[in-house]
Amino acid sequence: MITHSYNMITHSYKMTKRNTPQTSTKIRLMLYFSYAGIVCCFLGINACKKVLDQQPETFISTETAITNKKGAEAAVAGLYNEIQNGSYYGRNFQIISDVSSDIAQSVGTWDFYREMDTYVVTGGNTENGNFWYRAYRAINQANNVIAYVPQVSNATEADKNKYMGQAYFVRALAYFDLTRLYGGVPGVVGTLGVPIVIKPSEKIDESAFPPRSSLQDSYNQVESDLLKAVELLPESYGDNRSQAVKATARALLSRYYLYVNKPDQVISYATQVINDPKYVLSATFSAIFDGKLNAESIFELNFTASDQSGIRNWYFTSALSGRGDLAAHESYYKEATADPKDSRGKYFGYDATSKFYYPTKYQKAGNVDNIHVIRIAEMYLNRAEARVKTNDLTGALADLNRIHTRTGSDALSITGATELSAAILQERKLEFAEEGHRFFDLVRTGQALTKLVMVERRNGPPTSLTNAGRQVFPIPSFEMNSNENMVQNEAYK
Amino acid sequence: MRRFHVLLLCLALFLHVQSQEKIVSGNITVQDDGTPLPFVTIMVKGTKYGSTSDEKGSFKIKVPSREATLIIRHVGYKEHEVVVGDQTIINISLASASTTMNEIVVTGYGQQTRKTLTSAITSVSSKEIENIPSPSTDQLLQGRASGVQVNSNTGAPGGGVFVRIRGTSSINASSDPLYVVDGIPIQSNSLATLGLGGSVTSPIADINPADIQSIEILKDASATAIYGARAANGVVLITTKRGSDRKAKVTAGAYYGRQEPINLPDVVNGPTFERLINESATNNWVDLYGSVGTRNPQGVAFRLPYANPDTALNTNWGDPIFRTGALRNIDLSISGGSEKVHYLVSANNFLQEAMIKNSDFSRNTFRINLDFVPIDKLKVGTNLLYSRNNRTRGRSDDNISGALEGAFFFPANLPYYQPNGSYTKFGTFESPLAAIDHSDISMLTNRLLGTVYAEYEFRRGLRLKSSFSLDYSNFEESLYDDSFTNAGSTVNGSAQSIVGSNINWIQENVLSYQFKAGSHSFNALVGTSSQESKTSSTTATGTQFPSDDFRKISAAAVQTASSTATGYGIASLFSRITYDYQNKYLATINVRRDGSSRFGESNQWGTFPSAAVGWVLSEEDFLSKADFLSNLKIRVSYGITGNQSGISDFQSLGLWGGGTSTVNGSYGTIPGISPTQLANPALKWETTKQTDFGLDVSFFENRLNITADYYEKNTEDLLLAVPVPRSTGFENLVQNYGKMQNKGFELAISGDLFRSKSGLNWTANLNIASNKNKIVKLAAPFFVYNRDIYKYQEGGEMFSFYLHEQTGINPKTGAPVFTDVNGDGKFDPNVDRKIVGTANPKFFGGFTNTLNYKNLDLMFFFQYSYGNEQLNWNLFFLEHGGTRASNFSGSQLSRWQKEGDATMVPRLNAANYAADLRPSRFLEDGSYMRLKNISLGYTLPASLLRKISMSSARVYISGQNVLTFTDYTGLDPELTGTASNALTQGIEFFSMPQARTFMAGVTVSF
Repeated sequence: MITHSYNMITHSYKMTKRNTPQTSTKIRLMLYFSYAGIVCCFLGINACKKVLDQQPETFISTETAITNKKGAEAAVAGLYNEIQNGSYYGRNFQIISDVSSDIAQSVGTWDFYREMDTYVVTGGNTENGNFWYRAYRAINQANNVIAYVPQVSNATEADKNKYMGQAYFVRALAYFDLTRLYGGVPGVVGTLGVPIVIKPSEKIDESAFPPRSSLQDSYNQVESDLLKAVELLPESYGDNRSQAVKATARALLSRYYLYVNKPDQVISYATQVINDPKYVLSATFSAIFDGKLNAESIFELNFTASDQSGIRNWYFTSALSGRGDLAAHESYYKEATADPKDSRGKYFGYDATSKFYYPTKYQKAGNVDNIHVIRIAEMYLNRAEARVKTNDLTGALADLNRIHTRTGSDALSITGATELSAAILQERKLEFAEEGHRFFDLVRTGQALTKLVMVERRNGPPTSLTNAGRQVFPIPSFEMNSNENMVQNEAYK
Repeated sequence: MRRFHVLLLCLALFLHVQSQEKIVSGNITVQDDGTPLPFVTIMVKGTKYGSTSDEKGSFKIKVPSREATLIIRHVGYKEHEVVVGDQTIINISLASASTTMNEIVVTGYGQQTRKTLTSAITSVSSKEIENIPSPSTDQLLQGRASGVQVNSNTGAPGGGVFVRIRGTSSINASSDPLYVVDGIPIQSNSLATLGLGGSVTSPIADINPADIQSIEILKDASATAIYGARAANGVVLITTKRGSDRKAKVTAGAYYGRQEPINLPDVVNGPTFERLINESATNNWVDLYGSVGTRNPQGVAFRLPYANPDTALNTNWGDPIFRTGALRNIDLSISGGSEKVHYLVSANNFLQEAMIKNSDFSRNTFRINLDFVPIDKLKVGTNLLYSRNNRTRGRSDDNISGALEGAFFFPANLPYYQPNGSYTKFGTFESPLAAIDHSDISMLTNRLLGTVYAEYEFRRGLRLKSSFSLDYSNFEESLYDDSFTNAGSTVNGSAQSIVGSNINWIQENVLSYQFKAGSHSFNALVGTSSQESKTSSTTATGTQFPSDDFRKISAAAVQTASSTATGYGIASLFSRITYDYQNKYLATINVRRDGSSRFGESNQWGTFPSAAVGWVLSEEDFLSKADFLSNLKIRVSYGITGNQSGISDFQSLGLWGGGTSTVNGSYGTIPGISPTQLANPALKWETTKQTDFGLDVSFFENRLNITADYYEKNTEDLLLAVPVPRSTGFENLVQNYGKMQNKGFELAISGDLFRSKSGLNWTANLNIASNKNKIVKLAAPFFVYNRDIYKYQEGGEMFSFYLHEQTGINPKTGAPVFTDVNGDGKFDPNVDRKIVGTANPKFFGGFTNTLNYKNLDLMFFFQYSYGNEQLNWNLFFLEHGGTRASNFSGSQLSRWQKEGDATMVPRLNAANYAADLRPSRFLEDGSYMRLKNISLGYTLPASLLRKISMSSARVYISGQNVLTFTDYTGLDPELTGTASNALTQGIEFFSMPQARTFMAGVTVSF
């Protein structure tokens, strides 16, 4: 470059000498100026082309994501990754249920759980928003699998069915949880469901602004997805527990029919799972949480040291390297420890500095506890509850006692339907505390407004859920702001 | 060279033969030291006669008559006039330009005298910023340049600095200025990746402030458009010192200082803590059951949580973390040169130990700036900076494990240690003692900033310069939490190591031609630039260490790792023409065309033109009689600039990613993928259209200078992360949507207020600027940060606080009274929130005074900001009324207790401090004025120095942040504890405040 210009300029001097200086110098110089400019630009443009060609190294394009078997399998793993996230079953969904009911209270700085604890949840509540977003991420992931797996090049039909069946299952679970939290329960609370999206989101057009469906349509979507999952999924593969198989979908159907009040269906699906030899009640309660992926488990989210669950961290005190933001309600602690034979009463720790009890169901150092989404014990209690409704009280008591006596407690002998229903609900409280059931069980059975009264708290007076409309949560404010078709729940307007 | 002179001379002879004409010759030298000044322009006033001094400073010029006046002009020196008279030999010594109008201003790809400048550029000279103990140059700009808003987000040394030139012009893209050091647009984003809280680090701290010759802030479009695509937020040009034609000069400087906290955390003592908890519990009981004597429905009687507050322990949790900090700086430089070679070599060692333990910054740099002329007309040179920084960092700023958080939150009635000798743990928080003694966090940066260039001068004024520059940073971050910490206790120690690099190369070619045709002066250039930046990093983590004596991950039983890489490229063509007619009518036209790899192929390129005109009225005949007026210029500029920084490198593509479950996709040990970004192939440049009206006026022989500017910046096609319904599975789509406006006024006044024969001189500088920011168009309103503290909406401003407006306290009940925003007759926390203020100041600036008396000099510098609101978010957590178990702020003591109490702090009970309340009483007036710097120096007399063969020596003492005038009750009105989120500002959130510093130093040269 430089050498080139140098020659050029020597040349220019010679020229200058021969001509009348004033005019020709100017003309020459302008010529050379432009000439050199062109050279510069040429070099520059060449370099341009190169520097503007940049390709992502840590990401791949949407078009190449699900095109072959490996991609499809990775996208299926992505389904579980969404629901195991801390915003969902990693901790948040269980904690939402715990603090909104009579299991736990918020004692730390994270006042979003204190809002739920004291029934003043706002649309801007971060954890409420986190759950909403994460559930819809899972749905979008499922929609992608459902849309693109049929075109995958090197997978068999059986493989494709397996992938899509899992997507239908995860989508059903996400819609079920969204509908329970934001829509309500038919006949108890709520008329609106949640927006139903069944196509992958790839661009923002009118379809990106869906209105809320009716509550019934939301529940119908869950049912049809679960039935599709039962149809497509294989009976068995892998460990049968950390990913969905036919029985996983059946188990969720048994729970689903409790919400839409179809006891026969509850009994039918619960019985199918109970009769499935893959699933056996664990001999002791402790064995369920000490190990991983044992026979008790129907659907269990798998965590590792590089893929940690957060729930232990939130309950455990900082002395045990936890966050210590949540504590058990004193009343719940007393109920759980009332029967000294009940091994479930042993799952508590005590923080001497702050003077509260905290649950220790999730206790593995390094936060590697697996999360139990569905256990075989629930099938017994689902069936027991449905049997009471179909007047099979003996069968109901037998199912209840299967769970009650496993803990070391003496068998119950209850005769009245009302008493039996109450005992089953109480059994669910103690059995499934910190597993995301209690708040929804209370709402679903119409008892939230009578049971959640004067619940003692540590850093404040007792609280009560008095506004029936607050049995559902507010649609997050970001959703209200970004989607003009969205309607807020009545109690939060 | 000589040939050319002869040519000119002949020309002059040929055209203007007159009887009285004669030839005058002489030498031009520098007044200070007598060194010859080459290439100085000598003109005969009012004619076209002119000449230039040669390499040895000699000149010859033909003058038409003995009445003729010679005007001698040279950039950086005062203009000199001399009447020829009978003289034939005239020797002239030029004084360096101290007045603003003749000063040389560095512009993008060039330089210009301020007199002919048509754009808004503020210069900060090395004199103003030397020996101020601040690790980072961006911090030094605070209060120095009108329209440049600088806040120290944190007092942590080498920490992040908020810099805005003429307001914030973008929402999701970056609003930070472009930093250009000796022509290289440098990497100026925080490279730190460890998540330690909301704080960031400043890469500008890599540069040694003592190397800086001048800093130019390019503000209007005419000044910045030459940097087109990246110029919308203004440009900071940093020019480093170089050698000159003189014998070697050795300069050495050193200072040492101490740092202490200005304010300490204001929390209650142990007994008070217990009393307040008791009061809250009592109030809650009374509210429910009527009186403390009443039993609850279960038959339980009321019991005070603390039976005996008077005997409570009293622990000061701040004591273990604060210390007296230290500062030390040593600078050494040698510069000089001969006709063919100019050199400067410098080295720097800087150390700052902050007043909070575990927060240190040390810097070692060396620099070589070399220019030489290997053959006639060819200049080759290099700038080379190597900088090695070491930061010791602690968790802070919105981090529950930070030492400062612990000092605030730990109840004062808890002891440091438990009876078994272990640290007392409390709730979520880390023991401040453990945070200090058991976590090691550091960041080491090695940076090489280098340029090689060659410049060929085809003929006088016609130059081609090609350069290749490299900005390479390599960083190593490491963290070890040993088994005594919360993070490390159950996993037997936890370590993280991040190693990464950023490599940025730039190749530029600039052809420039400066020429005169009669009274018309032109300066034209065309150029090309191509730049590529690649950033990559590798992270490794380890847990389960055999013992705390092992700290490297190789010893850990459980190890994980990850690596990432990204990059972008920018290609540009640019051109500029500046024109002046007799220094009277001025014009500048810029155009730059930029391509960025970040945009889709069809929108990669953008064109950014600008134009400016200036009129020097004082050169007009009709003002020639106004002797008091030394200069009067008006200027107008308009231009379009672009912005593409701050968005991700592949923002226009639809992407899927993989990784561990905390990142994307994977489930347990099964690899997984998930969508990460929606595609937007139409994405293109964000553009800012700026108009500037400026006025430069000087009075009384340039003793009083005023520069005023009014500007309006309209940014459109914002690179906006438009929120989309999350039912899509995405949070937002980055689109060109929305408009932002910034308009404001800037005024800078400088004056030689007092000069006396006795040797007392007083100069003063005052600058003030106001900027009004407005979000003109937005897709939908959105909230920012936890608890929706900020709200962004059309018609609103950046950094608007969205809270429950507390208007007072009900004097009868002690309950807070909030504005019923929707007017439905009741206050509902869900809907009755509003914007109650912004972090943007109404006006801000600085005020400097320099006094000299004989060998003594005194400088004091105030910096101020008025009308900005600062959110004291520490109080949100600590003024909790008993709803939390943590300590109380001192402000809690002014709670309502009995009817008639006039206070804003509600009665202690659960309802008044409910979880869904975001009361505006924590939003305080953040206005402040600071005596930022004061120094007193003594220059040793020359007679004494000669004896010890020194050329100069000065000793000084100085203080930083000596006085702060503010009503703000937090630790520091400048803090932003969430700086890693660019949409937040003005929120104190457990950040380290700035320290008060006193120091002493000496500068000598030989």
